[in-house]
Amino acid sequence: MKFQIEDVTVYFPYDHIYPEQYAYMVELKRALDARGHCLLEMPTGTGKTIALLSLITSYTLSKPNNPVKLIYCTRTVHEMEKTLAELKLLHAYQTIHIGDRARILAVGLSSRKNLCVNSRVLAAENRDSVDASCRRLTASWVRVAAAANPNLPTCEFFEEYEKAGSNAVLPPGVYTLQDLRAYGKEKGWCPYFLARHMVQFANVVVYSYQYLLDPKVAGYISKEMQKESVVVFDEAHNIDNVCIEALSVSVRRQTLEGARRNLNKMRQEIEKFKATDAGRLRAEYNRLVEGLAQRGNLPFTDNWLSNPALPDDILKEAVPGNIRRAEHFLHVLRRLVQYLEGRLETDNVEKEGPVGFVASINTHAGIDQKTLKFCYDRLHSLMLTLEITDTDEFLHIQTICDFATLVGTYTRGFSIIIEPFDERMPHIPDPVLQLSCHDASLAIKPVFDRFQSVVITSGTLSPIDLYPRLLNFHPVVSRSFTMSLTRDCICPMVLTRGSDQLPVSTKFDMRSDLGVVRNYGRLLLEMASVVPDGIVCFFVSYSYMDGIVNSWNENGILKEIMQHKLVFIETQDVVETTLALDNYRKACDCGRGAIFFSVARGKVAEGIDFDRHYGRLVIMFGVPFQYTLSKILLARLEYLRDTFQIKEGDFLTFDALRQAAQCVGRVIRSKADYGMMIFADKRYSRHDKRSKLPGWILSHLRDAHLNLSTDMALHIAREFLRKMAQPYDRAGGSGRKTLLSQEDVEKMGDGILNEMQY
Amino acid sequence: MASGHVIKRAKYKTSPKGAGTPGVLKMTENKIMFKPNDPTSASKIDVEFRSIKGYKNTKEGSNNPPLLNLSLEQGGSYIFEFENFLDLQVCREFVGNALTKSGDAAKAKSGDTAKAKSGEAVATSDRSTVTYPDEQLISSAEMELRIKLLRENSELQNLHKKFVLGNILTESEFWATRKKLLDGDSGTKSKQRVGFKSSMILDIKPMTDGRTNKVTFNLTPEIKYQIFALKPAVHRAFLNHVPNKMTEKDFWTKYFRAEYLHSTKNAVAAAAEAAEDEELAIFLKDDDILANAARQKIRRVDPTLDMEADQGDDYMHLPDHGIFRDGSKEITDSQHEQFKRTFLQDLNRQGEVVLEGRTIDVELEDPRTVAEALAQSRQESDENAKQERLDRISRMTEMEDLQAPHDHPLAPLCIKDPRDYFDSQLLKISDDTRAGSEQLRCSLSSEEAYGSLRGSISEIKAMGLSDPVVRPEVAVMVLNGLTQNISSTKFQLGKNAQESILNSLPNTTKEELLHHWISIQELLRHFWSSYPITTSYLYAKVSRVKDAMSKIYPQLEEIKESVPSDLRQQVFLLVRPMHQALDAAFQHYEADLQKRSAKSGEKPNGYV
Repeated sequence: MKFQIEDVTVYFPYDHIYPEQYAYMVELKRALDARGHCLLEMPTGTGKTIALLSLITSYTLSKPNNPVKLIYCTRTVHEMEKTLAELKLLHAYQTIHIGDRARILAVGLSSRKNLCVNSRVLAAENRDSVDASCRRLTASWVRVAAAANPNLPTCEFFEEYEKAGSNAVLPPGVYTLQDLRAYGKEKGWCPYFLARHMVQFANVVVYSYQYLLDPKVAGYISKEMQKESVVVFDEAHNIDNVCIEALSVSVRRQTLEGARRNLNKMRQEIEKFKATDAGRLRAEYNRLVEGLAQRGNLPFTDNWLSNPALPDDILKEAVPGNIRRAEHFLHVLRRLVQYLEGRLETDNVEKEGPVGFVASINTHAGIDQKTLKFCYDRLHSLMLTLEITDTDEFLHIQTICDFATLVGTYTRGFSIIIEPFDERMPHIPDPVLQLSCHDASLAIKPVFDRFQSVVITSGTLSPIDLYPRLLNFHPVVSRSFTMSLTRDCICPMVLTRGSDQLPVSTKFDMRSDLGVVRNYGRLLLEMASVVPDGIVCFFVSYSYMDGIVNSWNENGILKEIMQHKLVFIETQDVVETTLALDNYRKACDCGRGAIFFSVARGKVAEGIDFDRHYGRLVIMFGVPFQYTLSKILLARLEYLRDTFQIKEGDFLTFDALRQAAQCVGRVIRSKADYGMMIFADKRYSRHDKRSKLPGWILSHLRDAHLNLSTDMALHIAREFLRKMAQPYDRAGGSGRKTLLSQEDVEKMGDGILNEMQY
Repeated sequence: MASGHVIKRAKYKTSPKGAGTPGVLKMTENKIMFKPNDPTSASKIDVEFRSIKGYKNTKEGSNNPPLLNLSLEQGGSYIFEFENFLDLQVCREFVGNALTKSGDAAKAKSGDTAKAKSGEAVATSDRSTVTYPDEQLISSAEMELRIKLLRENSELQNLHKKFVLGNILTESEFWATRKKLLDGDSGTKSKQRVGFKSSMILDIKPMTDGRTNKVTFNLTPEIKYQIFALKPAVHRAFLNHVPNKMTEKDFWTKYFRAEYLHSTKNAVAAAAEAAEDEELAIFLKDDDILANAARQKIRRVDPTLDMEADQGDDYMHLPDHGIFRDGSKEITDSQHEQFKRTFLQDLNRQGEVVLEGRTIDVELEDPRTVAEALAQSRQESDENAKQERLDRISRMTEMEDLQAPHDHPLAPLCIKDPRDYFDSQLLKISDDTRAGSEQLRCSLSSEEAYGSLRGSISEIKAMGLSDPVVRPEVAVMVLNGLTQNISSTKFQLGKNAQESILNSLPNTTKEELLHHWISIQELLRHFWSSYPITTSYLYAKVSRVKDAMSKIYPQLEEIKESVPSDLRQQVFLLVRPMHQALDAAFQHYEADLQKRSAKSGEKPNGYV
């Protein structure tokens, strides 16, 4: 369908549109007009992505002299693929209705591991070894050597790509990673470098958060993006955590040991070069005098993760004299490693600010702040000079330099915490030194500064006023949209008591109580016997899940559950979890039915949809609070209180409830879908907790469902499932419309807008 | 009658393990005789088949010698060891036939009908079995099956008695129409295989005797198979080590020792034991076959849940990057990780195996054969799942309710001419109940109905509704008329018309009717299946069947006469279709006969 939003003609690939999608587009359009940032919350299952994509592409189409580039950031690769698939659908629709003018180039970008087509490189186990094996075949010096000696292996795909030169371009179209690989294979070009190259010219780029937020990655991939871009962070409810992670480093014993090995290896290399090719080292020295601005001239393939800190001017400064010579730099690193080793030998938890820590390094190891700041780039330069291709071997020393640069650059928003052992396992000594970032705004600041519009959107951004504070920006539009429902297709319930009427909770003092464990087990068992197809369960942590599943096994509940449905479990192993999920879906597809056990902050909760029959019921066992004794969390809470005046309790509750909402929100994907959500903890019945849930869940949470026991919940579930099984009118027969046709949209216009907001 | 007999060399044994007496086994229709080679030996046997209750034999391919065990009615048994399985096969078949026959004969005697005929029928078939064992006319197994079916299904037995023994149909003709029954019965076994139970490994719990620390595991072939399916490494170890390196018993002892170590959750102890005993280590280590299979499968996984791809994209996984210990991440003890297979992993694996279902179809007796069969089935093909992956992702992205559905999952009901449908309904209704006058109006065509509806709507539109839409008196009249009809039909027919007609009849009439109906069906089936008549045999059959049918015809009339007058109408309704069917058959027969006689001139029977 085609309709008008103010001066923009929107092409939408479906025959109908939800009113909230329309409202969403209107707000988004206003933000684009204002060239400012915006914050939009819309429930899952209302088609955010397609609304966003069609508005932005249509916006560009109606303003051909001022095209905006769309940079779409997803959290996971499969979301990337899904977004691109939706875009494909939209693109097909637009080219049919507008013609060639609507043609765009859209690419997804991922790491070498997901894009490489060279079977020799792909044989490597993990991402880093794939990167390293790629470098071993494509680094500039390897290729120079191979030109002289044809026996040296190179990558035929990359050579072909190089040979094609400027002819190596992607024709317009939408390319998923799969398509890129297929295209690369067909043409014999390396898809990874092709995509990297095409990113500059593409109208739409879809990639992971890290490519913008992590300065190390953003430094070499995203630096050429123009200002006139719209950046979208989808599913952004966790964006503050991503930002914090991007600037945090931890150093363990293994790291330091590895770093020592790296240093020895490098020393040997330097000796070798001194004997054979002393000129190289001298040339490097001269280059460093002029500053680090060489990066731009580096061959494409020699790039790697760049400086973890941000300021651009660092590149123009000259490298301090004391680390210009390679062996001097190694000495500095050696002293740094030694100092860190000394710090790890502690029996108590220590906490320090970066300023104090730098001062202490200066007095004990004689390394000043400026030297620290240059460590990462100096290392990078040295590794290039030494022609090191086994980058995966040198990760440890990179970590150390990463740490040094961060600690030398930032004076606030960080703390250094040294713990001799994990709180929960005090008998196992495992010292760790963590540089932890507390301020999410540091990592995202360059993004806000650089791009004209940044859109932060998700199904759960409640309370919506907290995000601007956490990320320190001023949105021009900040809206939360409700969900117009044809029928009550979600049924949230708060279960406070088990079948024996005793309260259930994962509160610390109650969670190992056998009665609670049994009540939770009975709840799942009863539900498994009435709910068809898939059930998803979320637990507060891996260790809790492990414990409760084991005790269910011991007292026989698990066996009873398995008589109804198969059981699959998320484990820490990603491959295993993926396969378990795949089998779970198979079990749901074939009608056998299954239960998936998962963890609230785990990978599954973050990115996997349990829509339709893959999830008719989701049970959230407990409130997923963070581990409150964690030193890092305490430090962060303190920082938030002092800087943003956010109370500790408020933040913890906010964080726990957004995780819970995220978990339960995974069951619904469209309005034709339906699902139940059970919050199984007595604490959810308290107003201060419950009220933090997003509005679209709260509006369906009836007062009668606030304090249920297992038997009552079972009754409600039966009723609900029976009701949902009936046929219904999709357009929302009586009262207000929930599915708009083109006519309706033209007729109603802005009336929709008022209706859809809280 | 005694034409079939078998003579084989065999050893007579009193127990399966004993050495046995060599000699000659002779079996005739009624008797089993054994003459030892050494005439002085006491183990001479001469018994009648009547006193044999059943027989067992060893399977070919197992390690046991070819044994046939005949158990006696009085208890005790004879065991014969043959020289090879071929001999055993022949004898087994013979014994099977002889036993069924003696059973059949006994039954026939008690049924006191045409015993000789039955004997003959079976005997002929017997002969054919013995003489042409590979021509699968009637194998002993099939014979057994037939007998079993007859025994289970009294209706079938009645029919069999009536037609086969009444010499209307031959045995083979009777069964030919029931091929499906015979196939189906054996087919159910292979078609619907029992899957795995959802909880499998959880079931093996050791039994303790309470006094010592010794535990006993009760292993059934089923459990062994499940273990093989669940743990390919154990399976491989079994194939490699048993029986060359260790006995089966040792193997399982080791296995459960390893399981015990797992259950103690003491990774250090497990590591220590594994270091000492390399065979034990096999069970304790992670399953490398599974790991490889996982790597294979991950490539084919649904892209919308491929978290492995994220790991390659996400820079957070770099060692020591990001926050290491913030409480949300868990700690693992990496040292002895390979000995720390978790219960959760086991659960996942189990679900997977259950979903895969049973892949082999062999007897579970011998673990060695099971293991080998399983090894074969594991060689899976790597199909091209790429396209499916792509399809799946595009299917997942579309929003189903924003657009018209792609294809209608239901075919629309299509009645070409509604009158056909209503007329047939009407006939039934007017026959069933005597009140048909109101329903007659249903024969309006849909166009007419629509037209009249539209007419009245436009009339209302134009004139508005008259104050009382319908006059009350008229309404009451209509209501009464309608409800009276409803109540009267209810009174007569109850809720379900068909059921009540039969139930209202006296029991004997009902049974008779049902019996006739089944007989007629059977005969008609044979009758129509004989056309076109191409052989003299078919001609004879048709005339036989026709005669039988014409006998039933007057019987039906009799039933009709005999019932009380108030039920006559219903019985008439029931009998009519039978008569119609029979009439149609007779008509066809006559017409065919005429055609035939016209073709072959004055000799209508010349064809025979």
